[in-house]
Amino acid sequence: MRSALFRHVRPEQVREITLLIIIVLLLLFFATQIPNFLSGRTFTRVTTAIPVTVVLGVGLTLVVLTRNIDLSIGATVAVVSYGVGTLLANDPSMSPVIVIALSVAIGVGLGAINGVIVAYGGVPAIVATLGTMALFRSVLVTITDSRPVTTARLPDWIVDLNGIRLISLEDLDVRILPVIALAVVIVFQLLLRYASYGRRLFAIGSNPDAAHVAGLPMKRDVFVAFVLCGALAGLGGFMYMARFGNIDTQSAVGLELVVVAAVVVGGVNIFGGSGSMIGVMLGAILIVLVDQGLIRWAAISEFLRDALLGLLILLAVASDTVILERLRLIWARARRAEEESSREPAATAGGEQP
Amino acid sequence: MMAKLGPYLRRWETFLLALLVGVMATNALAAPGYLGLQNQSNLLELSLERAIVALAMAFVIISAEIDLSVASVMGLSAVIMGVLWQAGLPIELAVIVAIISGAACGLFNGFWVAVVGLPSLAVTLAGLIGFRGLAYFLVEGEFITGLPDHFKALAQQDLVGPIPASVFLYAIFIVIAVVLLHATGFGRYVYAVGNSKAAATYSGVRVVRVKLAVFTMSGIVAAIGGLIIASRFGAVRGGTAEGFELEIITMVLLGGVSIFGGSGTMIGVILATLLVLNLRNGMDLATISGNTQLGVVGLLLIFSVLLPNLGSRFRGRYRARQARSAQAAVSNLE
Amino acid sequence: MAERDEEATEQPLSAPADGVAARSADDQADAASAPQPVLEMRGISKRFGEIQALDDVSLDLQPGEIHALLGENGAGKSTLIKVMTGVVQPDVGDIRIDGQPVHIGSAFDAQTYAVAAIYQEPMVFPDLTVAENIFIGHRDRGLIVNRRKMREEAQAVLARLGVQFDVMQQARGITLAQQQTVEIAKALSLDVRVLIMDEPTASLSAHEVGQLFGIVSRLRSQGVAILFISHRLEEVFLVADRITVMRDGRWISTTPRPELTPGAAIRQMVGREITEFFARSPSTPGDVLLEVRELGREGAFTGVSFDLREGEVLGFAGLVGARRTDVGLALFGIAPADSGEIRLEGEAVRIRDPQEALRLGIAYATEDRRGLGLIFSQSIASNITLPSLGKYLSRIGITQRAAERVIAETFRERLSIRAPSVDTPALALSGGNQQKVVLAKWLATTPKVLILDEPTRGIDVGSKVEVHRLIDELVAQGIGIIMISSDLPELLPMSDRILVMREGRQMAILDAKEATQESVLSMAMGQVETTT
Repeated sequence: MRSALFRHVRPEQVREITLLIIIVLLLLFFATQIPNFLSGRTFTRVTTAIPVTVVLGVGLTLVVLTRNIDLSIGATVAVVSYGVGTLLANDPSMSPVIVIALSVAIGVGLGAINGVIVAYGGVPAIVATLGTMALFRSVLVTITDSRPVTTARLPDWIVDLNGIRLISLEDLDVRILPVIALAVVIVFQLLLRYASYGRRLFAIGSNPDAAHVAGLPMKRDVFVAFVLCGALAGLGGFMYMARFGNIDTQSAVGLELVVVAAVVVGGVNIFGGSGSMIGVMLGAILIVLVDQGLIRWAAISEFLRDALLGLLILLAVASDTVILERLRLIWARARRAEEESSREPAATAGGEQP
Repeated sequence: MMAKLGPYLRRWETFLLALLVGVMATNALAAPGYLGLQNQSNLLELSLERAIVALAMAFVIISAEIDLSVASVMGLSAVIMGVLWQAGLPIELAVIVAIISGAACGLFNGFWVAVVGLPSLAVTLAGLIGFRGLAYFLVEGEFITGLPDHFKALAQQDLVGPIPASVFLYAIFIVIAVVLLHATGFGRYVYAVGNSKAAATYSGVRVVRVKLAVFTMSGIVAAIGGLIIASRFGAVRGGTAEGFELEIITMVLLGGVSIFGGSGTMIGVILATLLVLNLRNGMDLATISGNTQLGVVGLLLIFSVLLPNLGSRFRGRYRARQARSAQAAVSNLE
Repeated sequence: MAERDEEATEQPLSAPADGVAARSADDQADAASAPQPVLEMRGISKRFGEIQALDDVSLDLQPGEIHALLGENGAGKSTLIKVMTGVVQPDVGDIRIDGQPVHIGSAFDAQTYAVAAIYQEPMVFPDLTVAENIFIGHRDRGLIVNRRKMREEAQAVLARLGVQFDVMQQARGITLAQQQTVEIAKALSLDVRVLIMDEPTASLSAHEVGQLFGIVSRLRSQGVAILFISHRLEEVFLVADRITVMRDGRWISTTPRPELTPGAAIRQMVGREITEFFARSPSTPGDVLLEVRELGREGAFTGVSFDLREGEVLGFAGLVGARRTDVGLALFGIAPADSGEIRLEGEAVRIRDPQEALRLGIAYATEDRRGLGLIFSQSIASNITLPSLGKYLSRIGITQRAAERVIAETFRERLSIRAPSVDTPALALSGGNQQKVVLAKWLATTPKVLILDEPTRGIDVGSKVEVHRLIDELVAQGIGIIMISSDLPELLPMSDRILVMREGRQMAILDAKEATQESVLSMAMGQVETTT
């Protein structure tokens, strides 16, 4: 029984399972406190609230895995949603494909700027992206007339995009944006797990010295991580525009912090080397669920939600450092004991002397 | 005094000073009266709380940590003061409790970083969101206004000439910060810990205590910064000082403090602060928007690290190329 | 720059000189029987500052041989490895692979030439699986990893090494021995032709060592050339085909194993000319200062017992992995002992942290000057006063610079620290002068017991003599000194008594007058019956 558990569950999956259990417990708890909480509407609300965070979180995770950080993603979202929104408002006939391609392309460009400064310029990521965060937004303000984009000025298709339902069962809607976000999670989860590039990201964050000795193309890989992060921030910017419609140059201020929170709660190690896209998605869901629950739960002020979110982040990091480390050790010991008992003949064969 | 500071001024600080003089000269040419006491005092007054908190942040970053939660502590302390005053506490007592709660926030961060050993980036991110959340929780989106006049006088009423008391407070803090960092045993320990935690431990430095002290200090000074804003606006709300952490950290890094800790000077931080304030004030005069101003500061921040890096890189690559051609010459001879 | 070019260009012409010429004759004689060497190094020299780390060293590795490299700490073995793996560029000399001169300028170059190294501390990626660790460096595996294929291939590589374990588990969870196996497998999967093993057995259990040797002999039979570095003579004589001895950065001998005895090898390792003159002034140790009984720390050392008298130098001898430093760290409270007792001047004491040790008057000068000894960006003066800073603070905590400078100047003069002023940052000093600053900072704490860990490693001869003179002075003042040193010709004349350690155990305490380099080294190597 014990050994079966060790074989099928890996320590890094404990985080995802724990998150899932917490989410379920929280759902059940709110269900006892709030009438009609377990309803299609809650599902719809949560799924509409998370897509931007999830897509940005996936991009940020690529960067964080390599022991870097990108604080400029909020500014990238602003540049893309405001910039593309303005273009679209001026020329409502632009095709959706071009709008999306343009959003992603702008993201790629901004990500490449970060990537060059960090990977090739050797500037610590936190310093570089703190700078570009201010820079991107200021360029946006400078080159535009700062006239807000409103839903009234946008073409109908983008305003309606957020409301498109793929499936609708009574008040449970499966809308298109969360499906796109889920697709992004799946694609990048597969990239992390099956692409050699994904594995190298883990390697670089896990032991940079060993990565250097092994001759991995570290600079190029880190650069690409920033570019991908920018691309996803561009996509996120498009989704942000579709969701909110009314955008000015101060939109998405502080968004990067929410995304970092989701990434950390989702179990991505802030010092690189471990984490998963599924975890990030679960982290984002958990945060939104706490939000939604508190808004509708009469017993506690909804204003407490950020205080609780802070606590959640702290607990997530503390459990990662304190508990998960210990768990890994116990795991390793158990496996070793198991191996030793099952592998004695092989061991003696290996120990033969010339 | 100058002789002692000489070695510090030789590098980055000199450049900052030159830049500062350049910016001030340009502004003075464009706007008469720019260099006047009135204008200088004004531009300082408007960002005073950030300038003061940057002084404490310098200690945190020199000790190789970071405190993202300062702006939230500023907001929370101001709110606590406001709520207590509203509840009927004398303003003096409310101020003291607010400062103590700032210290408690700092100690809380310090505990998780120094004692438990969690990364300060994550711990203070939790603080950034959590303390701000508490601030909003305490006032529930309301404003607290009508703070007593003698409290507002701190930042609003001129004490000597055009200079309000809060500017003098900054001057006092500068003196304390410079002395604490450069002339006390504590400052020495902060550098030692930031340089190498292990080497400091091996030299008998109590690393945990130093880190706890640095974070607690950051909390106390943030609380004072929050109270200054409250005094200036005569009101507090949940969003007081929101987003200031990035500007504060930028001032410190621009001042030549390494994000990896162990190096940098208080003079650099002060010069960078003055530079940022004058630059923004000058751009205000030239009616350049606040966002563009931030962008210029951001660019300055990036280049402050990028340029020295690029310089050494190209030198390194040149050497490698020379070595390779020498090697090729050897093989040709074979 | 131009000078260096010229040197490099001339090199191939001037290389066959002196000893090298003699050796190439040997090589030619060998050439009839042995195939061409895979890797050949000729006349390699490397200088770091004032230290000549390698002086005209030549070495060749044949396919399918285990070539052992012997030498004391500081003999130049690790620098030689760094040259082979592209970490360090030699000043003079050339490297040939299959007879072709090559430039190994980086770790990546080394990989291209199929040269790989594994170290005592394996370089694994803890977050990746074993299989991923093995194949991470491969560039030709395509964009998508076929996990099943990778698992099978990883198992196949491990099978070639005669071991098997779950290759889909995280490397974080496997033992040190398994991590080393993974590194060997990584090298093997890249079709490595030269495998350098630097002290691979130092942290392994006897059973694991047996397994490792099984792997090594398989690699040999597959034609890999193996350079094997170990301090355990019995291991070297068990597995090696040829043995090269180095000393003081020079090549001493290369001998087929059957023609060398352990005793002869030890004599070659220690047979170094004593160019520096060490002498202690005659002194009589006073009362017992420090009594240590059955001291131990789980996983590090056990059963260490000794007395240290006032004005006595107790030498700690031993090799890599003897755990002498751990005893020092226990006495200084960095890694406190968990068993045994310590008495200082008759009083039982517990040392839980460095502050406690400093309060009791015990100071420890680290062997890792670069990593742990100094705060590099700080001035000489602030480094010297750091551990005793309390003495130079006013009541409100302001540093009294005048008093600080006086003490720093005193030490600068007394230890002749060569620096423009005591305000010079420590990083601007040479190794020898940095070491003097380290000593000064501990002397400034006025210790009763001073633990010196490798106080002369990597410093120039002049500074060495000054350090020895200083020790002599301190002894005359009644300070008890524990001197940990791997440099036997230094340790023997400097010590009153010698405590020999081997793998965390105390082997003996010898009177320094009766001890010889051979007797100490034999004990430290666990070769008690050799050398007569």
